[in-house]
Formats: sequence, structure tokens, C-alpha cells
Amino acid sequence: MTAQVEPTSIEARLRAIQSITDAALSRLDDHELLIEILDRIREILRADTVAVLLLDFSAGQLIATAAAGLEEEVRQGVRIPVGRGFAGRIAAEHRPVILDRVDHTTVLNPILLAKGIQSMMGVPMVARGRVTGVMHVGSLTPRQFTGHDVELLQLAADRAAAAVQSMAAHADRVAVEALQRSLIPSALPAAARAEMAGRYVPGSGVVGGDWYDAFTLPSGELCVVMGDVAGSGLPAAVIMGRMRSALRAYALESPDPAEVLRRLDRKMQHFEPDALATVLYAVFDPALDQVRICMAGHFPPVIALPAQPAELASIATGLMIGVSPDAPRRVTTLPIPAGALLCFYTDGLIERPGQLIDDGLERLRRVVVAQSPEVACAEVMGELVGSEPARDDIALLIIRRRPD
Amino acid sequence: MPDIRFLVEMVKGVPVVAAPEEIDITNAGELRRALLESAAYGSGTLVVDLTRTQFCDTAGLHALVGARKRAQAEGGDMLLVTPGAGVLRIFAITGLDQVFPSFTTLGEALAHIPGGAGGASRDDIARHDVGADGDER
Repeated sequence: MTAQVEPTSIEARLRAIQSITDAALSRLDDHELLIEILDRIREILRADTVAVLLLDFSAGQLIATAAAGLEEEVRQGVRIPVGRGFAGRIAAEHRPVILDRVDHTTVLNPILLAKGIQSMMGVPMVARGRVTGVMHVGSLTPRQFTGHDVELLQLAADRAAAAVQSMAAHADRVAVEALQRSLIPSALPAAARAEMAGRYVPGSGVVGGDWYDAFTLPSGELCVVMGDVAGSGLPAAVIMGRMRSALRAYALESPDPAEVLRRLDRKMQHFEPDALATVLYAVFDPALDQVRICMAGHFPPVIALPAQPAELASIATGLMIGVSPDAPRRVTTLPIPAGALLCFYTDGLIERPGQLIDDGLERLRRVVVAQSPEVACAEVMGELVGSEPARDDIALLIIRRRPD
Repeated sequence: MPDIRFLVEMVKGVPVVAAPEEIDITNAGELRRALLESAAYGSGTLVVDLTRTQFCDTAGLHALVGARKRAQAEGGDMLLVTPGAGVLRIFAITGLDQVFPSFTTLGEALAHIPGGAGGASRDDIARHDVGADGDER
């Protein structure tokens, strides 16, 4: 039997396709686009309900995400296991399904039954060859969905799949950026007797393994931390975040800088056995007239007394964090006259390929002067970095005891 | 990815890896892999010859520390032949000079390996090139 095709039905079909592929849809943002596509397909197919369920890949479930005429599915957080029920079958088998009769044998979701839906049709949403969700429409009166109906729904689902993909990628980017920003050194605290300034330049990206930290303790002491986690980029930054947080916790617990670093070392060796880092931990008395420093593989600070050439402070060395358990740790106490300035840094500031470490240290020593820390930071960065792009992360923190 | 090779000599049954002039982020990963692969040639103990090395940043230290930990975990060790002054300085600041067994000559390093080669005799040498992927060439 040949099917009779009426001219008006072809026109109607063309109009319907045009409605879904309308270029004007591109001007909407992804979320608006999704809603608009749902409204249009419901109208075109003269359906009572339309819904989009998105795949949670790791949980193996479809989650009701957007709907028109069936908002309960979304509001009640309906989840359908892949492979089960109507939508689950579509996702598992990667092909459309038409249900001429809806009852508890053909659908899993009680909301569909409660609504009184009599017939349903659904298609998979596919992006880059993978099922990302399911789009389905329903009718409250018995109905036979045709092959043409399936094609139109698939067209709408394809458009919706692209919008969903784009929304997910954007959400990921926003999340990564927020995480990265949370790992950048936090603002320096205001301290009555000290002026501070800092610089942080990651070798690549937004954040890396270097950090500085400064905070006051309930005792009124001011703590300064410099650290350098081996590695680069976000993976190093994640380890750095954990170290920074752990060190703050131990700083609150123990007044002994050596004990703080010992606990940090033990924690890292147990929970992150592959991690390696240098750390310098300095505790300034509330009057800022002396500082106790414990170093774990880090370079010593440069200290400049007023109107005198700067020197590399003489501080007892100590083993890097992450090498060997129970390494001996020693604390060195430095007196700080009024107006004196200390410059803490990470090795990215003084290391250059083809140049000896000592040359870089000497250049630093020559440029550090007891003056405003903000000016000192600018001069240090200008002299040691200039216009060369940083190869390694650079962290710099300069602190001065206010002159009397 | 450039094909980085590290020369490995077998001296009386002990793998000796020649470290390059600069160890940094560009080659530290490959060096670590080469060290781990070389440990398998001997009885778990290897020697890293750093006499040519002038520069070693934290990425390089990470490779050396990691390779030694693995060698020790497998019952062996990793010994160093003393690097140049620049790198000795880094070892002193990081405290690694107290941790890595370090010797001024290859002969001394080999003499410290239990049951291994004594003396610097190179009569019994087989030369291998170990590529970044650990395959012998």
C-alpha cells in the first residue's frame, strides 16, 4: 500500500525542522537554548510533556534535568538507572524507543504513570559519539508516534546535546578557575610593628608549587612561611595547598618551629610519600625584635640593616620535607633592629640556567636595601627577573620592622 | 618529545648512570625513569655519576630522591659520585648531602657496594644506551 503524502504535511514538516534548526537559537545562551528547544519540540509534536535527562556517567544513572509539562520529574530529582525502564533502555541501547502503551511493565518512573501519560517516544542525546542523555515526549491521550516524529525529536535532541556539552565544559572551567584562585597566596595580614609586601609569579598557568604565607597567632607572634613543592602547575599547587593548610594547623598547636616542621614532614611522608618540598618557617616575636627560623632545605633570607649592605642570614640548614623520617631540625634566632628588613624568596628568583646559584644570590644581596618593602619588592623583581619570562615559580615576601 | 638518552655503563655488574650537565624540569622525568630502569640491570643497587652535572633544580632533586627511595624499597641503594661545586651547594642547602651516600670517585662508590665491584677497573664493561622509555638500543 503506498502512503499518501499530502503537500501540506511536507510543508509543515519543513517548517518544523526549520523551527529547531533556526539560526536565531544560536543567540541564546546554553540554558535558554535548552528551554527553548523543549518548548518548540513540544509544540511541533503536539506533545503534552517533554523532558531531558542527563547521564551521570560515574553513577550509571540518568538525572531529570529539564522538562515542560513534567516539571515534577526535575523537582523530585528523579534518577533512572541506565538499562532499566524506558529512558534507561534508550541510553543503554543507544537508539530510539516508542511506547504505544505506558504502564508499570514499560516504564520505571512512577511520575509518568501518576501523570496519566498514555504514549511515549524517546531518543538518545549523543555528543562526540557518546550518549550524554535522553530526550522524551509524552501524550496524555493514546497516540501512535511515527518515524517522522522520531526524526524530528532526534534533531531537537542533537541540538540540545550540543548545548548541554557546552554548559558542562563551561562549568568545569569555572570550577578549575575557582580552585586555582583559592590556592594563590592570600592577602598579607596587617601587623602593628611590621610592613610587608609580596610577589607571586607562577612559572606557568595560574598557580604552581611555590607559596608564601603570613599570619598572626593568638600569642601575637607573626609567622612567615616560604615553600616550594617540587613539580609544576596545578598538580604541584594541589600538594602545596595541603602543605600550607597543614602547616597553619601545626603552627597553632606548637610554639616550636622545629616541631611544626617535624609534624609537617611526618604528615607529608605518610599521606603523600612522593611529595618533595623546601619550606622555611619563621616566627617573629610580637615586638618584632627577634625571629626564630627553622629551615627545611630552603634558601636563607637576605637581611639588611638600616644603612648597611645586605647579607645572607646565617641560619642552620635542615633536610627538605619528604625525604627521610625524623630528620634533625634546628632553630636559629636572629635579632632584628628597628628598621631592619628581611627578604624571603624561593629558588626561582635566583636560579638561571648556565648561572651559578651564588651569582644569583649575590645579585639579590646587592639589590636588597632596608627601605619600604613595596619598593624593595619592585627593585628585587626588576633586577632579578627583568623582562625574562619566569621558567620556575617565583615567590617573594619582604618584611620590615618599622623604624622607631 | 625529544629522544633523551642516558649513558649506562655496567661496571662489574653495577649499573652506572651518567647524569647530564643540567638536570631540570625538561629532563628530570626521563632521568628518573632511566634510573629506575637501570636499577633492574644490577642487583637493585646503582650508581649515579654526577661529575658532569653543574645545575640541578628541585625537579632534578625530586627525580634523585624518588629513584633512591625506590631502589631502597627493592632492597638496594643508589650511590652518587660527587657533582660539581654548584650542585654540592644545592645538596648542602637542601640537606641532601647528609642523606645521599656520596663519593668523590667512581672507584670509591663501587668499593662501597656490598659484594659488588671493588676498584675502578673497567676491564669488564658493557655499554648500554638507555632511552627515555627504558628500552635498550
